[in-house]
Amino acid sequence: MKFLDRLEEWLIATLMGAATLLIFVSVLHRYGSTVHWLNPYLRGINLAWAQELCIYMFIWMAKFGAAYGVRTGIHVGVDVLINRLSDAYRKKLIIFALLAGAGFTAVVGTLGATFVWEIGHTEQTSADMEVPMWLVYLAIPCGSYLMCFRFLQVCWNFIKTGKLPAHNHSHVEGVDDVAPIGVVQQ
Amino acid sequence: MSALIIFGLLIVLMLTGMPISIALGLTVLTFLVTMTSVPIESVALKLFTGIEKFEIMAIPFFILAGNFLTHGGVARRMINFATSMVGHWHGGLGLAGVLACALFAAVSGSSPATVVAIGSILLPAMVRHGFPNRFGAGVITTSGALGILIPPSIVMVMYAVSTSTSVGKLFMAGVIPGLMLATLLGLVTWFIARKNNYPRLQRAGWAQRLKAFRDSIWGLLLIIIVMGGIYLGIFTPTEAAAMSAVYAFIIAVFVYKDMPLRRVPKVLLDSANMSAMLLYIITNAVLFSFLMTSEQIPQTMAGWILGQDLPSWAFLLVVNVLLLIAGNVMEPSSIILILAPILFPVATQLGIDPIHFGIMITINMEVGMCHPPVGLNLYVASGITKMGITELTVAVWPWLLAMLGFLLLITFVPQISLFLPHVLGMR
Repeated sequence: MKFLDRLEEWLIATLMGAATLLIFVSVLHRYGSTVHWLNPYLRGINLAWAQELCIYMFIWMAKFGAAYGVRTGIHVGVDVLINRLSDAYRKKLIIFALLAGAGFTAVVGTLGATFVWEIGHTEQTSADMEVPMWLVYLAIPCGSYLMCFRFLQVCWNFIKTGKLPAHNHSHVEGVDDVAPIGVVQQ
Repeated sequence: MSALIIFGLLIVLMLTGMPISIALGLTVLTFLVTMTSVPIESVALKLFTGIEKFEIMAIPFFILAGNFLTHGGVARRMINFATSMVGHWHGGLGLAGVLACALFAAVSGSSPATVVAIGSILLPAMVRHGFPNRFGAGVITTSGALGILIPPSIVMVMYAVSTSTSVGKLFMAGVIPGLMLATLLGLVTWFIARKNNYPRLQRAGWAQRLKAFRDSIWGLLLIIIVMGGIYLGIFTPTEAAAMSAVYAFIIAVFVYKDMPLRRVPKVLLDSANMSAMLLYIITNAVLFSFLMTSEQIPQTMAGWILGQDLPSWAFLLVVNVLLLIAGNVMEPSSIILILAPILFPVATQLGIDPIHFGIMITINMEVGMCHPPVGLNLYVASGITKMGITELTVAVWPWLLAMLGFLLLITFVPQISLFLPHVLGMR
């Protein structure tokens, strides 16, 4: 279980960093090629596929990140009503919402899996990189099933401990220990 | 009829407290299965193609850049610079807070992020200087909202994506209203501070100002890179976002050295977490608007509204009220993704400029972020100041009232938003 957690975190953080670097390099490359003395070195490299790869990386990041988000409680909902209910009703509604999330992601995962299965029997490839499309679309079933699993996990924890993961938007790591402003404090 | 069922179902599902993205998706799934013969397989494909656009990818990049800037000491240096410039006037640190928020807004695309970046450093300092807690919280909560009006802006990217408007044009159009709103909030701060005789700082000498400016220059340069790059056509908005993420990383780790290299994975993970959440809402909202279109709801609604012979000013007023109400229960990205595709066709048929419409919606979203029950800025500020939401709501109202007035001005004077894009020849 710990291993899955780490793998998930590692995967989305890497995709995020890699996609950023990729676009950065492709922009540098585009302008580098117009510089006279660099041109001979860069002419041979073709980075036309960078945009496509970036999109696919982010889609993979989005699907697995959404699953990670269930675990960190970042997916926002409307809690105006449920916060006013009595504890018993609140608990029931929260469990319903979590199970609905699990149900939805399970359906989507299955739809995605069928889709990947069908497209896997065709010769479809992506426009620039020419990777088989089923590999690209594999993010939907994998990500959705993982998300479904996370919903069930959170639900199970909630039933057992009554606690939900909550994302704290106001917390800035490392800001507290930074020295307060010191320019004009005469 | 189907519109009623769809929205009824959506609202019921949302009220159970489930994530908005899941509520959107479930509504579509339920409706498609029970009421239509649309093949359900198309849903799976839509879940993928929904975010298969390069423009959308500006969102994760801007979030990453914003996180590097927040953790990398850029905010702190901007605050120092702002304090040295305006700290000696009435309002002192409060006024500096407005200016610092405006500066930070010009490098960051999110408004809660601006509140966090500026507020977590400035609010404790303000309390130490003898400002009442509520004054500081009021200033930062509302000024932080500038984050989505002054470009770059994630909310504007969302609007651009869901209505196929140009991101670059929207960014340019946000500049003048953003500066005006900053000035207005500054004025309110100044008046309140003068009335209550809040502490002022000693005037900083020009040498001090120059030093503070030189310290913050690396952060300020980013404004020029992003806006200049987009305007001159050197990058697309998405590329500009990626460039600013890399640039912010370099500043934070190698120039200011406020962030050790080992913290980078954590920042990447947090940014990925936030981006994935937004991208997941987008995917499901695309699914939702696919359902809307296939049920011809926007067209029917446009026809109905046009049939009422509503003048365009009345339509804008209705839209504003509708959005303000929606701002009570949802956060900006969801509102824009759900409502913009429906309202936009009507607006264009009434001859309202898409850019002006976008700026108006953005400012409306700002107002929504600063009042309860779901104003994210409020929660962020409450987390920093440890004040209750009710107390904060009272604290915020003078600035919020000014903002509402400004919203009316922008709604009925489209020239304010359209001036800059027109002068720059972006049509």
